[in-house]
Amino acid sequence: MNRPSRFLSILASVVAVGCSGGDSEVDVALRAALLTSGPVSDAGWYAGAYDGLKLIESFLGAQVSHQQTRTPAEFDEAFLAYAADGYDLIFAHGFEYQDAAIRAGELFPNTTIIVSGGGRVAANVVPLIFRLEEGSYLAGMAAAGLSRTGIVGMVGGVAIPPAQGTFRAFEAGARAIDPEVRVLETFTGDWNDVAAAKEATVAQINRGADVIIHNVDAASFGVFQAVRESVAAGRTTWALGMNSDQNDVAPDVIVGSAVIRIPEAFVAVALAWQEGDVGGEAIYAGSNQQVVDFVINPALAHVVPLDLLERIDLSRTQIRSGELVVPRVAFVEGEVGVR
Amino acid sequence: MNEIEIALFLESGVRLGIPLALAALGETITERSGVINIGLEGSIIAGALGGAVGALAFGDPAVGVMAGALAGVAVAFVFAAFAIGLGTDQIITGTAITLGGLGLTGAVYQARFGATGTALTLPTLPSAPVPLLSDIPWIGGALFDQAPTAYVAYALAPALWYFLFRTAWGLELRAVGEAPIAAHAAGVRVRRVRFLATVFGGGLAGLAGAHLALAHAGTFAEGMSAGRGFIAIAVVVLGRWNPLLVLCAALFFGAASALQFFLQAFGFDAPYQLFLALPYVLTLAALAGWVGRSRAPAALALPWRSE
Repeated sequence: MNRPSRFLSILASVVAVGCSGGDSEVDVALRAALLTSGPVSDAGWYAGAYDGLKLIESFLGAQVSHQQTRTPAEFDEAFLAYAADGYDLIFAHGFEYQDAAIRAGELFPNTTIIVSGGGRVAANVVPLIFRLEEGSYLAGMAAAGLSRTGIVGMVGGVAIPPAQGTFRAFEAGARAIDPEVRVLETFTGDWNDVAAAKEATVAQINRGADVIIHNVDAASFGVFQAVRESVAAGRTTWALGMNSDQNDVAPDVIVGSAVIRIPEAFVAVALAWQEGDVGGEAIYAGSNQQVVDFVINPALAHVVPLDLLERIDLSRTQIRSGELVVPRVAFVEGEVGVR
Repeated sequence: MNEIEIALFLESGVRLGIPLALAALGETITERSGVINIGLEGSIIAGALGGAVGALAFGDPAVGVMAGALAGVAVAFVFAAFAIGLGTDQIITGTAITLGGLGLTGAVYQARFGATGTALTLPTLPSAPVPLLSDIPWIGGALFDQAPTAYVAYALAPALWYFLFRTAWGLELRAVGEAPIAAHAAGVRVRRVRFLATVFGGGLAGLAGAHLALAHAGTFAEGMSAGRGFIAIAVVVLGRWNPLLVLCAALFFGAASALQFFLQAFGFDAPYQLFLALPYVLTLAALAGWVGRSRAPAALALPWRSE
């Protein structure tokens, strides 16, 4: 929605081409930078962004650079350093960058800043909003369908809108399958604290949860480890991945992942920017553009009942056609159609 | 909560408290010698990575634990070289060591295991129940059905207490931390004592990191120390620089952390930030209540230059 159809068609073509590294007709020297506020070795949210930057490098022949910022004070420094150095596009991969992005955008009108999950818009500051809740809704359906105890769990880092949005949708998806399902929710306050995420997961499993989804970064390893240990102790427990396709991160326990195809989306944004199509309004990317999806782990596909798979497929089609509206939280102020 | 749930809660609390206890016991010795090592966090994360790499390389978690402790020692050695050898400001040096440790471990991890990360499955230290003691109702399983590194913490607390308060070397160490000029005049080599105390603290912080990776999480992730070095420094204050109280304070803090996850899993309808603040609020209350009467070693954080 809200974007010229041109953007959507570019996005679709990139997703179709994928990582094949096809020849780019446009030979413009593009300089693109990525800012993350966590390590890109999380095999998830930041790893996807790093892959996206690398894809922009190989697919568009761009010159790329990545910096990890640790404190909000470093956000401004990093923006200024890249913008002053003449970078065309800065991908600031997280809600937390939105205010610093606006400040830097005012100082450097020739640099375009893309804020993943951002909430503030300017001529050259563009939120890139992934409708991950659409994938998370389908994951919720899978969770409730797989659960034998009727209790499923969610372990999150910090309750920022992107995280809350995915959890509300997960709950709604679970209720769609089992209206009586209980959904436990724990925030640990840290995206990378593996031990805390593990203890939070253990506490949920001890309360009877047998399917656990997360929305953390590197701490997800702790969630998967807790599920593994409970399986080793003789329980039937499953995990669900989030943000990137994490099915191969712990293929023995992750039944499926709510994914954002961040790399393809980044390339599509870079292409749209080259066409002069980026600026002044938020970019939305969801299951319509095939950026967001829920993918079953092929290694564990046999544990998902066929009728559950069919219901998930049906809901996916309905979400794409607009027939099924997934609950979501507002990212951009005054956003329409949000409940 | 019924008995099983309370036992599970206590187990979780001890699991979360052990790494804090190991790091805080080491820091107690360091601080008693007049050195505050803010770089503890760097030693912990280095210990976690060292433990992970060592355990993977040799397929043996025991080797990993030793590698982790050595990595912690190496980081503390760098801190000591600057802060004690050159007399640089301890707070600034420690902060640099923490940031450097977090960055360097990230770079090494990405170089070794790929930039976008892998969920490593490490050979873990299994828990080793202590006969008889682990059968004590309520607390037996929590305290005495843990990884061997936990028993190191239990044994160290009284051993370090004895060392500090009942041996001549312990007296020298405390003298260096309270009145370095007098200790120097009495023939104690101030910088050597401080150096050894700091490196010892780093080794225990490395052990804490190795425990985190090998006995608790079973994996490594960048930044997984998650501020435990700083919490351990607070635990030292809460434990009034006394190893026995420090162990209790660390377990108390672990229990408070476990409580937040239990309350959230129970579905208490309150903002989760309240639960997250719980361990810190309890610590603040405890600090205000009874640590006020205690005081830090007099020469803490003051460099020694007159040799």
